[in-house]
Formats: sequence, structure tokens, C-alpha cells
Amino acid sequence: MTDMPMPRSGTASAAKSSLMVADANTRRRNAAEKRFRLYGATAIGVALLALVVLLFTIVRDGSGAFRQTYLAIPVQLNAEVLDPKGNRNPEEMAKVLTLSYGKVLDAAVEAAVVRENIQIQGLTEKQISGLISKEASAQVRHRVLANPDLIGQMIDVDVLANGRVDGFFKGRVSMESAANDKNTSPEQLMLAQELRDRGLMVTRFNWNFLTNPDASDQRPEAAGVGIAILGSLYMMLVVLLLAVPIGVGASIYLEEFAPKNKWTDIIEVNISNLAAVPSIVFGILGLAAFINFAGLPQSAPIVGGLVLTLMTLPTIIISTRAALKAVPPSIRDAALGVGASKMQSVFHHVLPLAMPGILTGTIIGLAQALGETAPLLLIGMVAFVKNYPAAPPEGLFDPASALPVQVYNWTQRSDPAFIERASGAIIVLLIFLFCMNLLAIYLRRKFERRW
Amino acid sequence: MYDMNRVENAVSQGDIKISANDVQVYYGDKHAIKDVSVDILDKTVTAFIGPSGCGKSTFLRCINRMNDTIPIARIEGRIALDGEDIYDRRVDPVQLRAKVGMVFQKPNPFPKSIYDNVAYGPRIHGMTRNRADLDQIVEKALRGAALWNEVKDRLHEPGTGLSGGQQQRLCIARAVATEPEVLLMDEPCSALDPIATSQVEELIDQLREKYSVVIVTHSMQQAARVSQKTAFFHLGHLVEYGDTDDIFTKPQDSRTEAYISGRIG
Amino acid sequence: MPLSWALFASFLLAIAGYLVGRSRAFSAAGPDIRKLHSRPTYHGFLVGLAAFLPAVVVIAIASLLRMSGVIMAEAGPVVGLVALAAAVVGLGWGITRIGVDFHARNTVERIVLGILIFCSLIAIATTAGIVLSLLFETGKFFQIYDWKTFFFGTEWTPRFQGNSQLGILPLLWGTLYISLIALIVSVPIGLFAAIYMSEYASKRVRGIAKPAIEILAGIPTIVYGLFALVTVGPMLRDYFAQPMGWGNSGSSVLTAGLVMGIMLIPFVSSLSDDIINAVPQSLRDGALGLGSTPSETIRKVVLPAALPGVVGAVLLAASRAIGETMIVVLGAGASARMDLNPFEAMTTITVKIVSQLTGDSDFNSPETLVAFALGLTLFVITLVLNVVALYIVRKYREQYE
Repeated sequence: MTDMPMPRSGTASAAKSSLMVADANTRRRNAAEKRFRLYGATAIGVALLALVVLLFTIVRDGSGAFRQTYLAIPVQLNAEVLDPKGNRNPEEMAKVLTLSYGKVLDAAVEAAVVRENIQIQGLTEKQISGLISKEASAQVRHRVLANPDLIGQMIDVDVLANGRVDGFFKGRVSMESAANDKNTSPEQLMLAQELRDRGLMVTRFNWNFLTNPDASDQRPEAAGVGIAILGSLYMMLVVLLLAVPIGVGASIYLEEFAPKNKWTDIIEVNISNLAAVPSIVFGILGLAAFINFAGLPQSAPIVGGLVLTLMTLPTIIISTRAALKAVPPSIRDAALGVGASKMQSVFHHVLPLAMPGILTGTIIGLAQALGETAPLLLIGMVAFVKNYPAAPPEGLFDPASALPVQVYNWTQRSDPAFIERASGAIIVLLIFLFCMNLLAIYLRRKFERRW
Repeated sequence: MYDMNRVENAVSQGDIKISANDVQVYYGDKHAIKDVSVDILDKTVTAFIGPSGCGKSTFLRCINRMNDTIPIARIEGRIALDGEDIYDRRVDPVQLRAKVGMVFQKPNPFPKSIYDNVAYGPRIHGMTRNRADLDQIVEKALRGAALWNEVKDRLHEPGTGLSGGQQQRLCIARAVATEPEVLLMDEPCSALDPIATSQVEELIDQLREKYSVVIVTHSMQQAARVSQKTAFFHLGHLVEYGDTDDIFTKPQDSRTEAYISGRIG
Repeated sequence: MPLSWALFASFLLAIAGYLVGRSRAFSAAGPDIRKLHSRPTYHGFLVGLAAFLPAVVVIAIASLLRMSGVIMAEAGPVVGLVALAAAVVGLGWGITRIGVDFHARNTVERIVLGILIFCSLIAIATTAGIVLSLLFETGKFFQIYDWKTFFFGTEWTPRFQGNSQLGILPLLWGTLYISLIALIVSVPIGLFAAIYMSEYASKRVRGIAKPAIEILAGIPTIVYGLFALVTVGPMLRDYFAQPMGWGNSGSSVLTAGLVMGIMLIPFVSSLSDDIINAVPQSLRDGALGLGSTPSETIRKVVLPAALPGVVGAVLLAASRAIGETMIVVLGAGASARMDLNPFEAMTTITVKIVSQLTGDSDFNSPETLVAFALGLTLFVITLVLNVVALYIVRKYREQYE
């Protein structure tokens, strides 16, 4: 093709170059183009890598929280120790402390070891009974108080294993680390391994992690996110009941009714600035206004919910206004044209049409509120809470925790087993957020309308 | 005015600059250009006319491969510039566009100074060695676009501050500054008022001395005023191509006649 | 809780009022319903609102009075009775108004408009609440602590027994240092990611990368904090700081800055994406038509045109970084110092707000009150950044509209 005679006009200069050959300048520029593209691709790669590493480490560290090691042993519930009066009166039995149950359990563990004929050098009695969690005695006591007839019987119990033993089976604790650890020893771990080989010690799915309350520093194996989930749900309830109607109401006024003047300008600027105020400032507001001034209780979901409401309002208002704006004016004109009042045109036509957008924005606002931590620290949600809050509305005033705060709380403990718990709580949190976002995407897809 | 222009139009025509053979363009499933073959001459103004959506702009954008920027566009057939296939694998569209400049429907000066707008092309194509050369090129281009006298005292003010007609002439100057061989104009006057339009048309007539100019227009009067050759497009087909005088006075095809007399379009 | 019961009872009254009002309106109209000015439903709504709103107002006023200590908590039952009485009176008033000529719809719409206006005033009230609570407590702080020492002091050593040094400069230094690192990480990555996605990426790549980056935006900051504490901090310490002899701390400026940078990537990239897309296509065509390569089009035409918007985005990102709490609480450490070594632990304003306000606090001691002064400083800094940024972005948008 290129050897075709080239038609040339008279003035064309001899220096005219062929299109088929890239000149030096073009080659240089194309190299720059390639480099630029590479930078862009690298940026995307870095962002994706960060996401993958982040999620990977969380799942790696946190999946352990959903499995727990138990020791399955028969326990002789000695009537002389557990019911000294022998009359099975629940009130008197309740006076028997967990300490006594601990003794019963210790005996049961030792008996099991003897029965299985396990011989390990240099193992003390304390190390044998230390196989099980300090929480185990409370576990058994609970069961006995619920059913006093069990006393005197031999019952099969799955007792929680000690956190170190549990960690050993999950790979968190090794023989080397145990040698330097005053809370466990290689001998104890060898015994645990023997028990596991004989099928007495099992690691299985840990429902308790989702339902248990928090536990003290000494017993990470018993800690769960039950109260935290409940507290988070209560706060979401408050946010849903307050932020959504107020946010939608404010948006309707600003978008549909407000005259264009200095006042509405101030409100608008104010809302967009409020959306960018650091969340911790809302915490200060909550502390000063709701707790110190209004006298509401600390650590209560109602206060957390109010703070999160104020924090999510701008988000909801901004997305709701966008949804209202997307409804074409022709719809409003059509309604007004058949004699509807302004208010009727908004509530009968504009609002239903904007609903999917409003819902999506609301869910995203709620998701943001669910993951928020900093303001809740300031209103006392970090407190150690062992009792479940009552049902709403009274329960809104009971102390509770929240999922993200529980995570923070556990990162402040010394036992590394709590890092596993914290990561596990994050997995729970992320699953909640994932579901909410999925719902938002579903709503957007299902009701998406192009005008 | 019509007659006067016709007399002026009787200028000698150059050799073949661009030749297109059996060009097909698809936008996804849509077949936008069908079997178009046309030879565009050097030192001539060629007008593409036709009703909206007839494919005239699409075809124009094929000539400097601007359609490459639309991911769903697909082009078949052969378009040659001076005998070289511009869709050959070895051809760099960047180099091609330096030779085949383009002026768009809406004036689109960059948000930079007038000087920087015109100097943009020479700079990226590495056409100058020093500032003095560049100054010279800018002045030449602005003179070529008949804008120099209006802007020479405010070269460093933003190009967006000019009036619509001045902006479009600035865009022409910007295209001319890279010393192209072909100048493509996509409805260059559609956003301009009548006075600015006549200035730009005058300019187009002058540009013919140096370049092959292809202009898409929806105004038949404009085609008649500025062009020597006219191509009539309809529904993706090139219906008729010939001397402008012939197209407007004795069209061969009934569709052309219908369009010219205002019955379609 | 007598108040919530009173509220519930008046709500039931309101529903009853709605039903009564509607049926009364029907009977007032007689056989020809068109005689009514407003449809019966509106009469019903009016009676309902007339019953419910007075009760709510009574309860709200009583709650405010109780908060400011004018009445005691024991007055609850009395307040509940007053509220119920108000509801009954409102109900009666509403029913007497029903008639053929009564403009019930207009009245209801006026009330609803009032409620809507009230809703939009809550945003203003929030800002006022923030400003007032910060100013009030900060005022108390400066009564017992010298403001010059606070703003210009270079030492931060709070002591429980008193005589604390509470200079903000080391905290400000830590905040700015960490934010700077976060911006150095996030701005180039976010900007290039946005450019690549809007100008280069194929549909498939965009379909994967865009939602993935959005996921990064949806992850709560506590998760980033834990990531900094458990993964990034120890990694930086074990592979960089310790071998090179730069420091032994897991929590460091670099840890927090790096993780915060990751957190800000989606923020910067989505803002940049908006801004880049706001540059009209005609400018891109103009540059490409002159023979620019795509990267030249971006660097020499699109980015200069988008510059104000990008600057605004960077300022917004900076404001985010300065106000971020959980990442620095878990990643930066707690020791207030002014140092250049990024592998050292430093602390920020937000960290100290948390540490001074959690646990048992005595709201008369400077050690607690200083948190409000820190909060006010933080609020002012971020507010100025936001106002400037939003102004720039708005001006930029108007330019291309």
C-alpha cells in the first residue's frame, strides 16, 4: 500500500513525513503516555491491595473468635458442697458461691485425667485444673440453679477451656511462648493435646461469642458481643425513629417550600459544614448537652442514639434533597395543574417517587452511624457492662455497649486473646454493614428510574 | 451574494488529499455509516451536508480518528491520507491528528491564556526550539485566523474571555498553529451569531489557499457560500458528491433534490 | 415512666380524634359531599393534630424545665395529667371547628409546614449546641488556666494532683504531621486512581475497581485503627524502624499516617472523580483533536482546568485527617512530643480529647476542661478548612454549569 504513487500537491514540502513511521518526538511522548497509564494502574493496584490485606488480616485474626475449645467431662455434683442444708431450696443454694463450684469442677477435671491414665512429667494440680476457664464454674452454677434436681447427680458438661489452651489449638499459643508465660506451661499444653487426642477436648463453632456479654480481663474465652449487638441495635432504633423523619422533613422544607433568602442560605451552608464536622465533636456535644446538662444517664443507648442522630442528619438531608431534586418539575406541575395544593403535590407525588433514593441515603447514613466509635467513647459507652439491657423503651436508658466501642475496649486489654475477639467483633460489624449496603444497592437497582 | 460566491468558487482544484473507500462505521449495533467512498481534494473546501443524524459528523471524525475515543465505535474500510492508510496498525493517531486538525461545533478554548491556547499544539508536538520561534508561530497562526489585530494587546488574558466568534477563531488559530495539512470543521458556526459567522466563513475561504478544508454544516446556504465540493449524506449513505454548483443547481438524486428544496431534513 | 404513657395515651386520643373528626365531617356535609370545603380526612387530621400537639408541647416544656432544675423529677405524674388534659381540650376544640365552610386542609397544611420548618431548624440547633457547649466549657477552662500557656505551651503533662502543663503545640504538631503523611499517601493515589478510572479503565476494570474502592470508604475507622495496631504498626517496627535503629515503637506517626492515607484514598478519588468529570468533554476533544496523547490532555488541559476543585478536595481530605480519631487513638500513641522522626509515637488533639474525657472526670478540673478547649480548636480548624474548601468547590462547579 505504501508503495502507491503518492498524490502530492504542488507546495507540499519534501520534508513531509510518513504517518507509518513514528518520529522521535512521538516515540518519546508515547513512552510518557505509557508511564502515566502505569501510574494510574499502580494507584488502583495499591488501593485494591490495601483492601485485600485489610480484609485478609481481619478475617485471619478474627475467625478464631467463632470457634471455641471445650472440655467434655462428667461432673459429680456433690450435694454436701453445693447444698449444705440438703433441702434444695433455691434461695439458700444461691448463697453457694462459684468458688465451691470451682472445687467441684477441679475435682472432675483431675478425675478425668486420672481415668484416661495420662502421665505427664512435672504437672501440678493447679496446672491440671487450670485447663478450664475461670468462667466454667459460673457456667455450671447457672445450670444447677436453673434445675436444682441435678444436685447429687453425675452430669456431662462441656466446660470452656482456658484461653491459652484454646489459643494453643488455634495456633496463637506455641510451646515456646508457653515456656515464658506465667499463665500456662508446655506441660499443660501437652496434657491438653492428650485430651484432644482422646476426644475429650473439642473445638467447635462458638455461638456464645454472638450472645455472651463481655468478660473480665482474665477470661477472654468467655467474652462475647451479645450486649454490644443489642446496644448497637437500640441505637440504630433511636436513629431510625428520629433521624429519618426529621431529616426527610427538613429536606422537604428546604427543597420544596423554602424561599430563596439569606436564612435558607445559612441553613444550607450550615448543613454542608455540619456534614464535615469531626465525629468526636459530636461526642463532646453529647457529653455536654445530653449528659451534663440534660442529666441523661451515661453509657445509655438513648444518648448514643441521640448523638448519632445529630451526626447522621446532614448525610440523610443531603441524600434526600438529591433524591427530591431528581424528580422532574413536570410531575409537580402536573399535580398542581389538576388542582392539588403544593403540599398535596409533594406528599402524593414527589415523595413517593423520591422514596428509593431517600431509602438508599438513609441506609447509608445508618451504616455510617453503626460503625462510628469516637463520639460514643466520650458518652461513657466504654464502660464494662455485664447485664443485658431491658427491652425498649426502658432498656434505652440501661447501660449497654456498642459493637465498634466493644472492639476498641478489647484492644485496650493486655491478653492477646482479646485481639482475636476484637477482630471477631469487627467481622460481625462488617457483616451487618455488608448486609445494609447490599440492601441499599438492591433498592437502588430495583427502583432506579431514569427521567 | 449567492452568484458572487459562485464566481469566486471557480478556483482551480488540487489533487486528491484524502480518499475513502467503502467506509463502514458501527456504534455498537447501530450501522452509522454505510459504504462511503469519497475523494477529498487538496486546497479545496468540501462541505458535508445532510439532515441531522445522517452521519456527516461521524464520517468527519473518522478522518482524524476522533472516533477512537468512543469505545463502542468500530470502523471498517479504508481511509487514506496522501495514500497512506490512516487506520494502519503502525499509524499513531497522535501523529495523524497533528496533520489533520479539527475545529468543533462549540468554541472550546482551554481555560488558559490566548497565547497558551495557540501555543499548545506546537508545544506538545515539539515544533519549536525557543520562545522566539513560538512567538512567531503564535503570531502567524493568529494572523492566519484573522484574530491577531483584535488580541495582540491581550495575549496573556484568558481565552475564555473572548466573544463567541473570537473564541471560534481562536480555536481555528489553535488548530492552524500545528501546521496541519487538512482542517476538519464540525459545524463551526452553529453556536455563533450572523456577524461572527460571516467572519469565520471569510476565514474559511482564505484557509483554502493552504489547506484542504472539510466542513460539516447543516446550513445549505453556508455550504453554497464557502465550498467548492459538496457531499450530501442521508441515513448513513453518501448520496451524492460533486461540485457545489452542480449539487445545488442540478442534483442527480431525488433525495438530494428533496433535501435542497426543503422537503426532508 | 408516666411521661411516655401520657404521650402514648394522647396518641390514642389523636387517633380517636381523627376517626371522630372524619365521621363528623361526613355527617356535616349531608348527602352532597362536595359541599365541604375540605375533604373529611383533613378534618380528621386536624382534630388528631389538635389533640396530639398540645400534649407534646406540654411534655417538651416540662422536660426542658426539669433539665434546668425548675421542677423535680417527681412532678412526672402531674405533667402527664396536664399533658392529657391539654390533649382533651385540643380534641374538643378541634371537634367544634368542624363544619362545611371550615378550611381544614389549609389549617392542616399550615401545621405540617410548621413541623417541616421545625425539622430544618434542628440542623441549626445542632450547630448552636456544638458552639455553645464548646464555648461555655472552654470559657470555664480559661478562667482557671492561662490561655497563653495553652496556645503557646510546648509541654503537655497533665497530672491528677494538679499543676499540669497543658500546651497544645505538641498535640497540634502530631496532628499536622500525621495529616501530612496521610495526604502524601492519599492524594496521589486517590487522584491517579480517579484519573485511571475515568479516562483509561475498560468497563470491566472499572466495574471491579470502583466498587472495591467504595468498600474501602464504607469500612468504619475502628477497623482501620485495629489494622494499624495489629498489622501495620508491628510491621513497620519489625522491618524498618528496628533494623535501621530508628525507633522501637509499634505505634508511630508513620503507622497512623499510612493507615489514615488508605482510609482517605476513596474520599479523594471520589471527589476527584466528580471534579474531573465536571470538565466538559469539549475541552478533551479540543486537545485530542490537536494531537495530544490522552495523558497530555489530562496533565495539560483537564487537570489545570480542574485545579481549584482538586485543591478543594485536598482541603476537605485534610479536614477529615485532622478530625480523625480512632486511627490515631490506636495507631499513633499517646506521648505528646515534637519530633521529626516519623517512627516515633506522637499524639494528636483528638487522642487527648478522648483520653481526658473517658473514665471518671471531674468537670471542674483543668485536666478535664482542657478537652473542651481542644475540641473548640479542632472545630475551628476543621470549620475554616471546610468553609474554604466548599467555597472553592462551589465556585468551581458554577464555572462549568
